Amino acid sequence: MLPTDPHLFRLPAEGEDRPRLLGSYAPESDLHFWPRRKRCPVTRTPVQDVELGPVGTLYAWTFLHVPRMGKVSFGDTGGYAVGQVDLPEGVRVQAPLMGSQQDWSIGDEMGLTLFPVGTDDDGQELVTFRFEVVR
Amino acid sequence: MTSKMARRVFVVGVGMHPFGNEGIPATDMGYVAGVAALDDAGIDFPEVGALYNGYIGGGMMTGVHMAKDLGLTGLPVTHVENASATGSSAFGEAVHAVAGGRVDVAMALGFDDMNRMAGLGRSGRSGLGAEDVMLPAAFFAMWATRRMHEVGTSVETFAAIAAKNWNHARENPMAQRRVDHEMTVEEVLASTMISYPHTSKMACAAGGGAAGAIVASEDVARRLGGPMIEVVASQQRSETYTEGHVFLGAVIGPSQMTRDTAADAYEQAGLGPRDLDMVQVHDAFPVEELVYYELLGICGDGEGDKLVASGETSLGGRIPFSTDGGLTARGHPGGPTGLAQIHETVLQLRGGAGPRQVEGARTGLCHMAGAGSVCVVHILQRA
Repeated sequence: MLPTDPHLFRLPAEGEDRPRLLGSYAPESDLHFWPRRKRCPVTRTPVQDVELGPVGTLYAWTFLHVPRMGKVSFGDTGGYAVGQVDLPEGVRVQAPLMGSQQDWSIGDEMGLTLFPVGTDDDGQELVTFRFEVVR
Repeated sequence: MTSKMARRVFVVGVGMHPFGNEGIPATDMGYVAGVAALDDAGIDFPEVGALYNGYIGGGMMTGVHMAKDLGLTGLPVTHVENASATGSSAFGEAVHAVAGGRVDVAMALGFDDMNRMAGLGRSGRSGLGAEDVMLPAAFFAMWATRRMHEVGTSVETFAAIAAKNWNHARENPMAQRRVDHEMTVEEVLASTMISYPHTSKMACAAGGGAAGAIVASEDVARRLGGPMIEVVASQQRSETYTEGHVFLGAVIGPSQMTRDTAADAYEQAGLGPRDLDMVQVHDAFPVEELVYYELLGICGDGEGDKLVASGETSLGGRIPFSTDGGLTARGHPGGPTGLAQIHETVLQLRGGAGPRQVEGARTGLCHMAGAGSVCVVHILQRA
């Protein structure tokens, strides 16, 4: 199994049940960022690599039925949900959500999870990340 | 950032090619808009000292090639691209070229066809990666669901804004969407759901088109003898850090960017929101127009919904927004969109907007947001 975007997240390590987002922390400004920054965008001071998540709070969401201003249809797949999730470190992450729009409300606890998106040229399974409601 | 312009700048000519889906090559439409702007100004192309061509979908050399149709005068031609704010940025460059004394006359032209562009996201990996999933329809729909949660905005309010803009476009021969009947809240809500709560009739009209504007120094404007429409503010910003900042997938930056750019523009013009007679905004989706009422200072935070209900932002109301139909119905080809706002504002300030004329209009604001985090605000005023 391989991550589609290894610069954005890593797979769960042994003993972990969820993947982790790969972010930055700037000690001088005490701010976290995702994805990783080359330096703190507020103070221009150095940042450290950190891991973020994997559980946060739903800030906003939508369910995307027809992209490109209605000119393209997902057909039988029915579309997908996207949300913004606030992580405890103060980072807001925008990502697809698992499920349908009856499954969540703003303020719900959301956990990072993996979602299969096919295979690479060598037949290895590729996974991206999504958020799901934590029950 | 907010200093006065070094010298006064006036819009002396505007021109458009109607927005639509006829499949006409974008550069052909650009030629039509350019010649229309020259004719409107009453000047010939050799008098233009600099040309700023705004397009998103063309190739590397398109802007310079297109200019050859207007004439081989040797003038500097510059390609400007700033996503949806492309035309507004091209106009800003032309304004600053005159304000800074580089030239006495400058032209901004926008031409594009949204249907021939690749979508947002990285090419070649569509649907796979985390950076491919966020489309404008979804991004602004999240503004809408958050707004519904925080303020209690109803889907009917979003539909009312869209219906208003469809109805404004009925009187605009340049508009892409012109219906033969009054658009209603019910009809907007009954159209195809694109991204909850946005339906297809709430989404901006994607098509082709062109628009242009010619700006000039005070001496040139007075010589030409037309109505004196002054650019009293020209401001552009990118984003600053805000709480809950989204770096990946945010189609545009935090909404604070509009508040800050507008503040710069008001300061430069020495005006405030109460001085405005009409406003054009980036109403790609109605939640944007609703939020911009507040971010531009037309009303207090959370009070935009009441403004819609009272009809104050409709033609005939206190402060009409999107008087030509906006992105919703006049259309949003890309590069020309911001220049169509300038076209509309100039017509209104001249008193030449026909059935959609804002009575006594003297001051108008144009606002555009662009993907990647661009915000451009211009304020035009009849001298």
